[in-house]
Amino acid sequence: MEIIAAYGTAMMVLAIIFGLYMTWGVGANDLANAMGTSVGAGAVTVKQAIGIAIVFEFAGAILAGGHVTKTIRKGIIDPTTIIDRPEILVYGMLAALLAAAVWLMIASFKGWPISTTHSIIGALVGFGIVGIGPEAVNWGKIATVVVSWVVSPVIGGTISFLLVMSTRYLIFNTENPLKNAKRYAPIYIFLVGFVISLVTLFKGLKHLHIDLTAVQSFGAAICIGILTGFIGWLFVRNIEEDSRADKEFHFASVEKVFTPMMLFTACSMAFAHGSNDVANGIGPLAAVFSIVNSGGEVMQQSDMPVWILFLGGTGIVAGLVTLGYRVMLTVGTKITELTPSRGFCAELAAASTVVLASRTGLPVSTTHILVGAVLGVGLARGIGALDLRVVMNIFISWLFTLPAGAILAMVFFFFLKGVFG
Amino acid sequence: MAMKTTNPLAKLVRKSPFKQLQEHMRAVFSCVSMLPPIFDALKKRETDQVFEFATEISECESKADRIKNEFRLHMPKTLFLPVDRRDLLALLNEQDGIADDVEKISQILTSRDMAVPKEIKTCLDELLEATMEISSKAKLMIEELDELVQVGFGGREHDKVIEMIGGVRRSEHSIDQIQYRIKRALFAVEDYLNPVSVVFWYQIIEIIGNISDRAENMSDRLLLFLSK
Repeated sequence: MEIIAAYGTAMMVLAIIFGLYMTWGVGANDLANAMGTSVGAGAVTVKQAIGIAIVFEFAGAILAGGHVTKTIRKGIIDPTTIIDRPEILVYGMLAALLAAAVWLMIASFKGWPISTTHSIIGALVGFGIVGIGPEAVNWGKIATVVVSWVVSPVIGGTISFLLVMSTRYLIFNTENPLKNAKRYAPIYIFLVGFVISLVTLFKGLKHLHIDLTAVQSFGAAICIGILTGFIGWLFVRNIEEDSRADKEFHFASVEKVFTPMMLFTACSMAFAHGSNDVANGIGPLAAVFSIVNSGGEVMQQSDMPVWILFLGGTGIVAGLVTLGYRVMLTVGTKITELTPSRGFCAELAAASTVVLASRTGLPVSTTHILVGAVLGVGLARGIGALDLRVVMNIFISWLFTLPAGAILAMVFFFFLKGVFG
Repeated sequence: MAMKTTNPLAKLVRKSPFKQLQEHMRAVFSCVSMLPPIFDALKKRETDQVFEFATEISECESKADRIKNEFRLHMPKTLFLPVDRRDLLALLNEQDGIADDVEKISQILTSRDMAVPKEIKTCLDELLEATMEISSKAKLMIEELDELVQVGFGGREHDKVIEMIGGVRRSEHSIDQIQYRIKRALFAVEDYLNPVSVVFWYQIIEIIGNISDRAENMSDRLLLFLSK
């Protein structure tokens, strides 16, 4: 207890620095993936993507980022045995944060397809094993999380497969694809607003002291859906047939309808990313704050203040603005093969899956889910060529990331323990 | 140190092989388009022009080869494609064979001083025109590939391409008949011509006929894409 009293402020400062460093890394890498698809399809410019990301990343973090943060903060490690030594948990959280951030940096420079989520979970487990003992790790929860890493891309892929099939049935494979595209576009855009807001609102805003009943959430989601659908309708209603472009590619005009639609999925991707990935950086920070603020209470009974979510959003946006835009540009120029209609399906599927996972408090990987969604388009025979080596590399990166995060966290834990005494 | 990214998406989505196939077919088609003019020049006995067209053919053929090599270089076995990888490579081979055939013909026309026997002139024109037609049909068929990917090789686009395949088949059949007639015409006069030239004329007719066979083989491969 005395250590917390003596070094509480220093610990908080470290936690904020490490937390910002981590969220900065997340913003530089991860967010760019989520937005790159829309940039590549020509739906938004890089500048617009950054603007969208700033607004919706914050919205996602603050409105829906609390559930995953809670999992990272107190769902993985059980500190009951160290009630009288709260500083251990503080060292551990700091070490986990630093370990995940350092591993993310290494992977970024090497170009490995790792996930920040996996790094932080690996780091927390690593600290738990050496800092408290293997019995302190909530293995049941870990199992659920690991299963969700496999299941979530499959769900994303399934949804995007079904969406692609629906666009064919309703639009591409009809007498007048352009007319049908303009007719159904507002409905698809309605879906974007409706699904994302329903998942977010349904019993999800308790941390903001807003408690909606099921009917109220449903009604509000429908209203938001109709509003986005209406805005979408304004975008697509004036799209004209471009017979010159159609000569080259018969569906060029139809794709032009999907281009503004990707603006909406870009917003939803940023929101989804904020709701899930912000927790990787601020979960441990929230834990440290709770312990220091309560003077050494490891059980973290208090609610997390909203400013921490805000801080996480700031870090991510800073990462995007300083480095992520370049990543976004590279991603954007490389995945031009993903035409707007396919990109729309993949992004809507991925965003819905991520938000659903966020709502259930499961820390998942936005990027891996997006990969799953793109594979779903491929399974519908809707894409020229996908390199499955990437999927292989993702599996390999899983195998390395968990132990790497764990080992780094152990090293940093003993280092911090030594420094603070 | 250059900052890379942890993003696997850019590596996941590869350049569409169908677009490369279309690009290749365009190069092949420009080769075939040189056939009528090179034979025209031959008929007028304008040797300089024959050589000029032969150079152009060889340039088009090299361009097609470059695209073919680029294509093969980017076809690792790990690719997940909407069609069978072997069918795709076989289709490319057939396309490339057309350019090779055209080059073979131009090589015969430049390595020997060939004169068009007046008895086969009309038939030859007919054969060349039909060959142009079948090549252009084959090209149009290949141009539908990106639309086919968009709709998952089904529905209306599927029916449309089936129709086009039927068109290629019919053209091939009529070319067979033209080939028969031109061979008969050549046979009727072969005793009065230089025997070596006659052998080469038979060879030229055979190679031109090959082009339509290859176009038909292409449509067979495409049919496999549609049946999957």
